[in-house]
Amino acid sequence: MEQFETFIVESPDATGARTTRSLIQDTVSDLSLSRAIVRMKVFVDPVEPVFILAALLRLGSPSIKLKDFAKIDMGTLGKDEVKIELDKEMFTVKLLNKLWAKYGKNNIEQPDKKIIIVKTDPIRDLDMLRELVIEEPQQEVLDRLIDAIALRIIPEGFRVRKHELSNTHVLFVASEDTLKPEWLAKGQEIMDSLRREENA
Amino acid sequence: MLEPMMYIGGAYKHSQLIELVEDLGGYILQKNIMQSEVVLLMLVPINDLTIVEAKSRELLGKLTRAPLTGSEIAAVAPTLAYHHLPHLDCDVAEFLRKQGAKTNMIGLARGVGKRICQLTAFERDLINEHDVAVFILGNYEHCIIEKSKKLYEGIEIPIVVTGAPELRTEDVPNATAYVGSFGRILHHMRHAEELRTLDKLSAVIGKVLDDVRIEIAKDPPSVAPPRIKKEIEEQIPEIVDNLHPLPITLQTGGVRVKLPYEEYHEQIENIKFVEGVSMKEVAHVLPSKMRNFILIKAIPKSETGFVI
Repeated sequence: MEQFETFIVESPDATGARTTRSLIQDTVSDLSLSRAIVRMKVFVDPVEPVFILAALLRLGSPSIKLKDFAKIDMGTLGKDEVKIELDKEMFTVKLLNKLWAKYGKNNIEQPDKKIIIVKTDPIRDLDMLRELVIEEPQQEVLDRLIDAIALRIIPEGFRVRKHELSNTHVLFVASEDTLKPEWLAKGQEIMDSLRREENA
Repeated sequence: MLEPMMYIGGAYKHSQLIELVEDLGGYILQKNIMQSEVVLLMLVPINDLTIVEAKSRELLGKLTRAPLTGSEIAAVAPTLAYHHLPHLDCDVAEFLRKQGAKTNMIGLARGVGKRICQLTAFERDLINEHDVAVFILGNYEHCIIEKSKKLYEGIEIPIVVTGAPELRTEDVPNATAYVGSFGRILHHMRHAEELRTLDKLSAVIGKVLDDVRIEIAKDPPSVAPPRIKKEIEEQIPEIVDNLHPLPITLQTGGVRVKLPYEEYHEQIENIKFVEGVSMKEVAHVLPSKMRNFILIKAIPKSETGFVI
């Protein structure tokens, strides 16, 4: 597995820290997240009990819209249709699935490999189709990240949780009991220390 | 007293060994033929062990003691979520199965947490139907100890606990034995070190089962569980068409029969032994908590006054 720039698991229970570290590594490689996470710090105290996980993220490319890889125009004059001319075929399957879901299969025609005709009012839908999001690599990574942290890494009994999530960081504080303000403050402190390391 | 043994050898002439064991009054519990190799799980009378050893040497096979043979083990996880499955729990269950035990995996409904964990009455009764319960717990010493204080309430069978820290059994409340170096492992256990840990677990469970057997031998059951199995196989033809894995599962003190209780319990109660007694005189035929199966518990000699 590709190692993060910082990866620290702190706990008063040394064996617990070691096994938690190994289980995080397993989960991250299972869900291929090693490139999305830059730095990670984890603090576990089973006696309190509290589990804090803070990580800085580096998400991949931004979302891909239809106008990024296709020309969208009005179709034949006098007909209610929009003509999409594809430059790349890579996203055709995803695009067709989205169009079918939106307009129904009988309103989509594909006379040629790279041409798709959508039977709809062009004046109303043209701009919307240009901005249609076809793929969201960042969102997919975030979904996997949440799956990893919330459903696999945090001990199952820790059901009281507070989290912060953005495109650059993720912070989870979890416990079996009501969250104490000092734990939340500790979470912020760990997050800040990660940011300082990043900027140093 | 019968000794649980495993024979691994060539398929050629292995029937001679089967016949020998049956002639000596032993029982063949499972026979698996894999291409040209055969694995036999059997119970051999302890006094005649040397004869069987000689025969297995003659056939160039390997005869080893398999203490898990003829037992049903519950592998209990706090839940059936990603946290525990598929790797660790399945590894444990599969490994014990390879050693000759029948394992059932049980995921508790509310088994998580050290303060909030609970065991429902149904789960407790279901676990109590087994010979040994293996509780597969997590990484932290404090959590394992706190949880052990209350999770096993009402469980009467021996409890083996696994977890990451190396604790002494005395430190884990209510546990019969504790095995360390496990913890919450999210990969397939296949490294040499991990396989050694699994070996250690099966050795510990073997020891626990031996103790159970010694305890049972002090007041032996009126009918040996493998004998019950044999009679059911011979007298209830429907069991042959049963598609459940191990339709008759052997336990240390009885058997579980995977037939519906309502339809078959009278038929089983009326099974006749050649000694002239019927099943209901030597064993309790009870409804099992597992589906609508039948659980047969042999009555000890002290109650009936005879052993057949």
